[in-house]
Amino acid sequence: MEQSNSQQRLEAFEAEAVGYAGQLFRVALRVCRDREKAEDLVQETYLQAWRSFHRFELGTNLRAWLFKILFNVHYSRLRRERLNLTPVEETIAETIAYDPPAPQRLTDEEVLAALERLPRDFQIPVVLSDVEELSYREIAEAMQIPIGTVMSRLHRGRKLLRMELANYAREAGYKIAN
Amino acid sequence: MRVMDCRNFKELLDSYLCGELAVETNHAILGHAEHCGACRDEMAARRALRQSLRRACSREEMSAEAIERMRARLRAEAGLADRATGAAVKTGRRGWLTRLFEARLLVPVAATAALLLLIGGAWSLYVVWPKAGPEQTVAEKNRVPELSERLIGESAGDHRNCAAKFLNATEPAEMPDSVREFDPACVRLDKVAAEGAKGLLLRSAHVCGYGERRFAHLVYTRDDRLISLLVTKRDARALKIGDVPPFDGLSAGLQQYEQVEQDRLALGAYQTAKHVVLVVSDLPESENRALAERLAKPVVEHLRSAELSRAALNPEERLGRLSPREWNRL
Repeated sequence: MEQSNSQQRLEAFEAEAVGYAGQLFRVALRVCRDREKAEDLVQETYLQAWRSFHRFELGTNLRAWLFKILFNVHYSRLRRERLNLTPVEETIAETIAYDPPAPQRLTDEEVLAALERLPRDFQIPVVLSDVEELSYREIAEAMQIPIGTVMSRLHRGRKLLRMELANYAREAGYKIAN
Repeated sequence: MRVMDCRNFKELLDSYLCGELAVETNHAILGHAEHCGACRDEMAARRALRQSLRRACSREEMSAEAIERMRARLRAEAGLADRATGAAVKTGRRGWLTRLFEARLLVPVAATAALLLLIGGAWSLYVVWPKAGPEQTVAEKNRVPELSERLIGESAGDHRNCAAKFLNATEPAEMPDSVREFDPACVRLDKVAAEGAKGLLLRSAHVCGYGERRFAHLVYTRDDRLISLLVTKRDARALKIGDVPPFDGLSAGLQQYEQVEQDRLALGAYQTAKHVVLVVSDLPESENRALAERLAKPVVEHLRSAELSRAALNPEERLGRLSPREWNRL
């Protein structure tokens, strides 16, 4: 009896939540920079989510909740490993006054390569916003940083990305608007 | 509102594409794009860049095996027969025990212990625990302890320092009413625990401390073996800033630890929203685990209902049992 009850609950959980595994994994990859670690992080995220699924309010945003747990697990692992979170180099983009236009006609590979060269603190919000389409508020909650910080990291991250791509484009002789 | 010139347009363009702007600002953006060809091109280029980013990142897929492993662990965690892998997590027992998960910390290498002795003195032995070594399997790695190393150390320390004094205590023991100052939920703790303490002799009931940590402490003996039941409050501030696991660990069941420095200690712990209940002894791990389940269960249930009724009286006291939405507001 108890078992069939658990079965039902688990099925409900899987039906609702497991579909987001791919999205969580993509972000986990940016966070861990290692496939195996990223898969492990996603797995732990789902275990934690399952353990507190009874407290999840239906109708609220499950995906954002999962991302929040993912970062929670990630941060507590960092603490356990006695690693400090890498200080954000807030100044990197501060000095860049020039905002390059977005280049056209670049391949997806070039875009991905440019993304991967961004500092992680900028890269992750950009992926959460532009790829996974989380709102700024959801990103702030997931990453546990103020929304103002999200906005400034996004602003700088996108700008840096365009700089990288503009360099690419210039080298490749592509046309840049303006 | 700012005049929508090309400069402002470019500043706001990404937020526009994310749908983060107010309606009026959206109109201003569109109005500007309508009569400025360069900005229109920029909008198209950035939109294309977003799409390209999305395409490029979407190629990364979690492997089917990893997803299957994850489903298998979820089934095991839910106490369902694990047909796929069978091995990773013990699921032999049901009910309370099904959600039991272990955090067996591996025995440290002697060299680490010696080094710690040199640099930190004996105290650090309690606090520093061995890290998971590369030789561990994935299943072991995933049994992540939810209690802080610090609390484990403090509880073990309190058991060693304090309980030993009562090994041969003869006066009848009763929790003094002054425990109320420590925590009203611990009033009559000895009576609450008595249900699970059959076969044990209560030697002392008091409030004590180890370092900055305070405990309501029940000291029991069974055949000259000392057993401590400790109740401590979770750090509300740490809960808020995420320093301790925000999840109500009770859902994870009993957590079992073993400390192998000096004399061997076994430690079983439950978390409620606002308390941690620990059973510490020098019994073998399996015996301590069985005892911890029996001894801690009525205490945990008592604390939970006390927490809930206090929460009902004072909604702001509900920290630790927050819904995801409430967490968001913290």
